[in-house]
Amino acid sequence: MQIAIQTDGSSRKKVMLTSILFMGLGHIIYLKEYLKGAFYALIEILMLAFSPIIVNKLINLVTLGSPQPDVPIKMRDNSIFMLIDGVIILAILFIFVAIYIISVRSALESYDAYCVHGSFKSEKHIISSTVQKAFPIFGLVPSVGLVLFFVVVPLVFSACVAFTNYAAPNNIPPNNTVDWVGLSNFKTMFGGNAAWSTGFGRVALWTVVWGALATFTCYFGGMIMAVVLQQSKLKIAPLFRTIFILPYAVPAVVSMLVWANLLNGSFGIVNRTLIELGITSSAIPWLSNEWLAKFVCVLVNLWAGFPYFMLLITGSMTAISNDIYEAATIDGANQFQIFKRIILPLVLYQTTPLIIMSFTHNINNFGAIFFLTTGYPVVADSTTTGAGGTDILVTWIYKLTVNLLKYNYAAVLAVVIFVVLAPFAIYNFRRTKSYKDGEL
Amino acid sequence: MNHKIIRKFNLTFILIFLLGTSVFVIYPLIYVVSGAFSPGNSIAALSIVPFGDGITLKHFEYLFNNTDYLQWFKNTLYVAVCTSLATICIASLSAYVFSRFHFVMKKQMMMAMLILQIFPSFVGMVAIYVILLRIGGLDKLWGLILVYLAGNIPYNTWMVKSYIDTIPKSLDEAARIDGASHFKIFRSIIFPIARPIIIFLGISSFTAPWMDYIFPKMVLRSSNKQTLALGLYSSFLTEKKNEFTNFAAGALLIAIPFIIFFVIMQKTMITSMGGSAVKE
Repeated sequence: MQIAIQTDGSSRKKVMLTSILFMGLGHIIYLKEYLKGAFYALIEILMLAFSPIIVNKLINLVTLGSPQPDVPIKMRDNSIFMLIDGVIILAILFIFVAIYIISVRSALESYDAYCVHGSFKSEKHIISSTVQKAFPIFGLVPSVGLVLFFVVVPLVFSACVAFTNYAAPNNIPPNNTVDWVGLSNFKTMFGGNAAWSTGFGRVALWTVVWGALATFTCYFGGMIMAVVLQQSKLKIAPLFRTIFILPYAVPAVVSMLVWANLLNGSFGIVNRTLIELGITSSAIPWLSNEWLAKFVCVLVNLWAGFPYFMLLITGSMTAISNDIYEAATIDGANQFQIFKRIILPLVLYQTTPLIIMSFTHNINNFGAIFFLTTGYPVVADSTTTGAGGTDILVTWIYKLTVNLLKYNYAAVLAVVIFVVLAPFAIYNFRRTKSYKDGEL
Repeated sequence: MNHKIIRKFNLTFILIFLLGTSVFVIYPLIYVVSGAFSPGNSIAALSIVPFGDGITLKHFEYLFNNTDYLQWFKNTLYVAVCTSLATICIASLSAYVFSRFHFVMKKQMMMAMLILQIFPSFVGMVAIYVILLRIGGLDKLWGLILVYLAGNIPYNTWMVKSYIDTIPKSLDEAARIDGASHFKIFRSIIFPIARPIIIFLGISSFTAPWMDYIFPKMVLRSSNKQTLALGLYSSFLTEKKNEFTNFAAGALLIAIPFIIFFVIMQKTMITSMGGSAVKE
């Protein structure tokens, strides 16, 4: 089997070509790395053996099956299974290509080492060095595998659904098939249909306003509490801090549901107390007036969210050196000036990435809206779109998926969230130290 | 003299402010406690004065005797512990690889992780459902753990990676010269030094399953497989019925261990949060 190769590097092309021709071939015929070569070859043989299935699945991905009204429901083409299988096959092909590239590179590396040393390494040596070299691969396989199949595939699937007509009542498998429809869902959302585009505009605007307000109030609420507790020099400050941590410690589902019950219009504790005290004569529609409900969402979110920033800012304030405070005091700065000129800029600088993260978190803060108001009250377009006055994009996605079975529109919204939030994520990425240092 | 008066006035003002905020913070919580012990059933029957109707333990008895509360608790604990341990192992290992090795597509993979973590995982709900159906993970706790685990990896890998980046590389190199393997370096050098961030990671992935509702609702069907958030919400607070007092009793039992834990841990959290912010 062994074919001679030169040590002067002139056989590089030969090694590369054979490795590309069939995975592992270069290892076996030129480099005496039989075990490694056999492993690579086995992967390619497996792929070839399954290729009819793979091609079939890819064809299904393109056609998404055909309607078969005369076949029993159980045996009809299920477009959604076809779509998911197709996406999974694409992911597997992606892995296969990656392994292919790794195999060619590994063959070339072995050849380069052979040129330098003039002799082949023993099989034992190869195995031990492969184990060391393959460590990054073994370290990444579990996370990449899980993320690929449980995060990437579902997201790609849902991006694909945005271009299909997968929706109730006419296109729900297994009864009916689903077809590719191009951009028509996007057209409906962005102006094609009055109810849907009003609903979309309203919800998208509120989502952004909500994200900004929720982040802003919690951040500055937390900052005020942190600064007051630290600067007041009260002996009982730790007691207050412990009280203020409570909302952070209580699971959000619980606290939101409790607030929802307390604020209930007709029999909630808050209204009954206010009426009893004579402050108001009629019940205040906390959660059933659109604007009041929005205000309540922000307020309750402040209740739940400020402790996190209080802890965070207390932490970053203790990280500021005491010398700076002392120098400022000696120079005659009062407490407000110290806050404005020293604490605020330093803390803001340190916590900017976390503010951005908190903004993206609030844009996606399902629990704060869903368990408090379930997205309601009902507004003009709710009958068609299902979106209430306080719904944000994610709660709307949930409703469209679970209640209305309008998967196509839900997917369009997911794509919108991606387009809106990806720049923030990338901005944060470019700010990180490792990116600036050029280590990546 | 004048100065002293101003100081006193300031102090009083601050005290009033802090007390006012405390009332706002404690207000809903007091009704959880009083609701849990009140004899009535719904929020409408609850007295507006906390503990105004006397005290009873019947809601706790009801939870333990007539519902699967204990089973929900066990399920949630199981899911939380498994998710937390698996996230620690997998995310810290891949964080180490991302921090210390150079390989093709590294930058793209890091970027992809960062972008993936902005999506709430339920956006891909339908596909996750079908995938779990295919591998037999529906109505199984391990199916739920798998979903949580995958959702945790992108963000946590980033977080741990940034921390490992701050550990000097000379430590690894010294160990490598002594003949330590990559895994040994990870296990006996990197992992112990990165402990603060790993503890933080463990806590945050442990607490998440206690609060999540969407995935348990999607994955788990049988009542004895449910987790706490799902069980409490779907048994006591539906559109048809409002059993606020039973809900409050159940919620109180979860909230108490959490509160004790957070109060004890507040010092650690302040330093670890402050530290991670500075390191950005």
